[in-house]
Amino acid sequence: MLPLVRVDRIAKTFAGRRAVDDLSFQVLPGEVFSLLGPNGAGKSTTVRMLIGVIRPDEGEIAVSLDGKVSGVLPAARSAYLPEDRGLYREIPVLRTLVYFGRLRGLEKDEATRRALAWLERVDLLDRKDERVDALSKGNQQRVQLIAAIIHRPLLAILDEPFAGLDPLSQEFFLDLVRELRRDGTTIVLCAHQMDLVERVADRVLLMNRGREILSGSVPELHATIDARPHIRFNLDEGASGSAFTDDPDVDSVSAGEGAGEVSVRLRPGSAVSGFLARAVGRVPVRSISTEPPRLHDVFVRAVREDDARRGDFAS
Amino acid sequence: MSPRRQALLVAGWEFRRYFKWKDQVAGLVIFAVLGLIGYGASRLATGGRVVTVAATGIELVAAEGGRMRVVPAPADSAGQEALLDTGDVDGILHRRADGAFELKVRKDPRFLPELRAALADLERRERMSAAGISETQLAVILAPPRLEVRFGDPARQRAGRAERLVAAVFLFLVILAVFTSMAYLLTGITGEKQLRVTESITAIIPPQAWIDGKILGIGAYAMTTILNMMVGGVLLAVLGTYAWGFVIPDVFVRPAVLLLLVAYSLLALAMWNAAFAAFASTIDDPNTSTRTSVMFLPMLPLVMTFGVLRDPDGLASRVMSLVPLTSPSAMPMRVILSNPGAAEIAASLALLAAMAWLFRRLAGRVFEVGMLMYGKEPTLREMWRWMTAPGR
Repeated sequence: MLPLVRVDRIAKTFAGRRAVDDLSFQVLPGEVFSLLGPNGAGKSTTVRMLIGVIRPDEGEIAVSLDGKVSGVLPAARSAYLPEDRGLYREIPVLRTLVYFGRLRGLEKDEATRRALAWLERVDLLDRKDERVDALSKGNQQRVQLIAAIIHRPLLAILDEPFAGLDPLSQEFFLDLVRELRRDGTTIVLCAHQMDLVERVADRVLLMNRGREILSGSVPELHATIDARPHIRFNLDEGASGSAFTDDPDVDSVSAGEGAGEVSVRLRPGSAVSGFLARAVGRVPVRSISTEPPRLHDVFVRAVREDDARRGDFAS
Repeated sequence: MSPRRQALLVAGWEFRRYFKWKDQVAGLVIFAVLGLIGYGASRLATGGRVVTVAATGIELVAAEGGRMRVVPAPADSAGQEALLDTGDVDGILHRRADGAFELKVRKDPRFLPELRAALADLERRERMSAAGISETQLAVILAPPRLEVRFGDPARQRAGRAERLVAAVFLFLVILAVFTSMAYLLTGITGEKQLRVTESITAIIPPQAWIDGKILGIGAYAMTTILNMMVGGVLLAVLGTYAWGFVIPDVFVRPAVLLLLVAYSLLALAMWNAAFAAFASTIDDPNTSTRTSVMFLPMLPLVMTFGVLRDPDGLASRVMSLVPLTSPSAMPMRVILSNPGAAEIAASLALLAAMAWLFRRLAGRVFEVGMLMYGKEPTLREMWRWMTAPGR
């Protein structure tokens, strides 16, 4: 399958700092491709180069649409929800959406029709004539997203769409991403909420300090997850988890986030039931829970290893 | 969609963001109220209370159409005092033995200039009578020499007070339009940056189309506001023709002159709006930035052109009417007050149009980078580098 977007060894430097460094990737038609990474990893700079707001100092970006290849995304066929986003607060919701639709090339009537349909879809139709600043932050984000995709783009770039949203709104945005993909829109999703991303992304690319440090499909990355059993204890007041360190099945013990919380990782192949039987006999335990392996851990480990490696090189 | 259509769309959006019918109507109402107050005040000043002066043994003649009335005074001082006390007369005038006049009043005599004029007329008549000279003879003696100035071109008449007034009002309106635009561009653009609208828009349209739209839209809003004020001014002038006999200078009924004024105003707005938009895009936070004061620099060349009122055909006025920073106000004032040559006007217009285009292009380059810059304001050197960078 021919890629919709091909990014080839791009780099960007700001005031002597390499924000993006020798980055390459491809986005395939119809997929949800996620750019992940901690704050300052270079995701937003990469996205800004994709949409043509800034240009790469090195490398090349090629967009293949309708059999033509160009260096920038055509505004009429693409959508962009920036991380730094906002709307004209004093303008009514419907007028705002129609304006953005018309800027994207829609005729006024068509822009109005689509805006009304979207507002109905997100339960904001009855508030179409209200000023944008009369809406809650979550609803303003919905309006913002509609403004970005009102023209039914082929490719949508969403930069941190989950930022500042409550769990219900996050679920709404996840549903919307799925819906867009179902309708044939290719999506580039930039985020740092790994748990949310792994629920919708087909492929991910993890960046750190401007470079790729890990990439692949979500199942491929899951396969790299540390499969060692991971158990969380909540101990009685005054009890200590140090007693676990003597157990032959225990690989590592670490303090949890709350008071009395202890995380225990067992050696590969250890029997969980045997360890638990010994553990509750040694230490007074209030509750026990197990954690499923998460992509989050893969990313945290990869970023830390990359930081350590580069720190070593730097020193 | 072409950048031109996008710019027009932005222009419409910006115009509608600021234009409110309510504000325009309120502006007209304020104009009407001010006009009525002015009219009322002038009626009070010209047709105010009649002043009565009682005179004894003096043949005083009050000026025709004036507010002073002369009546005979009682001979006895008690009667005179009674008249003053009751307020039936405002003053008692009599002539002393040494020939001097004495005016007895209860309060500050505001009618003194009128009274002095009447007394001077009285003395002149008495002296002429003593010398045996008639009024006709005196008129012949005092008649000034006759001198008529004829211009080859009748349009080269010296400007009258009405023309000077109109020229000053025009300059005031240009300054008002430029600074109205400046205020809206400053609040609009820095507001967009603070609301984080910038990236959403620059992802859709080229920065040059965006700034063009802003220049057009906000310029159109400023012009509409000024037009509204002019409508108010015309209503006031019509009122003035009835109330004060004010005559609208015939320069305003010449369509070519009107077109010229409109052309200069539009080009001036385009030029200054481009500069303001670019500069505003470099301001991070208008509440803390010290840069906003620089926005008032255009006031300097505009105010300089007030000098044209004194000598519209002097060297300074001719230079100012050619230099694009001052020509938008200087040349129209010269057109109103004098009659500059067609070649001068054409050169001035061409230079101004070229400067407006240059400002627009340079502003587009500054705007492109400035609008996406947060947390730091670029230095003048950086802005110069953006403007002169090749290959954009």
